Amino acid sequence: MTPKKRRVLRITLGIAVAVITLTPLGFAVLQPVKVLPRISLAPGFQLTDASGQRLTSDDLKGSIVLYTFTYSACGDRCAEQTRFMRETQERLAEVESGGMPVRLVTVSFDPERDSPSALRDAAAKAGADPRVWSFATGESTSLKALIGGGFNVYYEPGEEGDFSFETVYVLVDPLGIKRVVYRYQTPAHESVIRDVEGLAREARAEGMAHLAYEAAHLFSCYSTPY
Amino acid sequence: MRRRTSILLGASLGLGAAVLFVFGANLRSGATALNGALIEPPLPAEDFTLTSVAGPVRLSDFLGRTVVLFFGYTHCPDVCPLTMSRVAQALKALESDADRVQAIMVSIDPERDSPGRMAEYVQSFNPGFLGLSGSAEEVSRVAASYGIFYARAAASGESDDYLVDHTATVTVISPEGSIQMLWPTDLRSEEMASDLRYLLRR
Repeated sequence: MTPKKRRVLRITLGIAVAVITLTPLGFAVLQPVKVLPRISLAPGFQLTDASGQRLTSDDLKGSIVLYTFTYSACGDRCAEQTRFMRETQERLAEVESGGMPVRLVTVSFDPERDSPSALRDAAAKAGADPRVWSFATGESTSLKALIGGGFNVYYEPGEEGDFSFETVYVLVDPLGIKRVVYRYQTPAHESVIRDVEGLAREARAEGMAHLAYEAAHLFSCYSTPY
Repeated sequence: MRRRTSILLGASLGLGAAVLFVFGANLRSGATALNGALIEPPLPAEDFTLTSVAGPVRLSDFLGRTVVLFFGYTHCPDVCPLTMSRVAQALKALESDADRVQAIMVSIDPERDSPGRMAEYVQSFNPGFLGLSGSAEEVSRVAASYGIFYARAAASGESDDYLVDHTATVTVISPEGSIQMLWPTDLRSEEMASDLRYLLRR
């Protein structure tokens, strides 16, 4: 091999190596696509909503869903939680989800008092659009397994009909996989909207774009600080 | 100088090859042609113990093999026999690689589905299939943790001849015991076989 050929070979090899090594490095540093990590499967469930209809985890597959857990008799103590959900509902109008349905679900852990009509009142008071935001509850043992076990959210009935509980919001993707758990403080709407849009973009990606998202799951996951 | 260049080149090549191995795995084996939803990195799969006709079985008994997990019931008129026969056909298409796959059906109707009845049912599709049942609580916990909903169909009333509505997603669990892929209900057997070939090749 002449020195010239050798140099050409070396340069070609160098370029190939650079492309191979820089692609994932670029992914890690520049993060051209960002993905929310897949945390775990969201639990399967059957609940009853404010219109007395069954609401199941299957009904919500194919949608991006933000869950929260509370009880209607909570009143003013839960004002921030209700306001956050209502404002999220309002902000969803400006979300670019490309036709991907986005739903909000408030699950009550107080089935004794939260009959469908009580849930209907709570939904009306909160300003819920029933097409977007559902209020639902279930049977108390399965609720404990669902909320405490499946969603990992603590709640405990107190003495005078109140509950102590942690306010948590859980974002689930269209496949039914938990993607973000906002815990400890109410998240900023900007973060939630960004996360919802990110999930919608990812769910719509096909072909090479889909592969880029899958690569991002390996190289450039980001997580929200909750 | 030349030596340093070679070392650098060698190191980059090594790193590049390693990266290509991970990053390119999907490209090489045509992940774009997958039919189910590939979950990478895989999700933790909850281990469980349920009852087969031969006694208790744990999911982790199958570490080292790919598990195809389906939740259904033996009185199921449509989706369960269809899914089980598709899984059976897919495994047949895998030929000798089928030994590396264990199909498991968990009953979401444990009241009527004894372990014996489950065994008889699944083995009519493939003698190697495993049918599991358990107490109502056990089944409910396992199903929920795999994102499976089930409930007696409202139209069935109180009769013993009821139907059960349930999630018919199939979960594919890796030999390491993690959730690797989710199959939607309407997947054909060739599509299942093609996905399994991809997973087994990795």
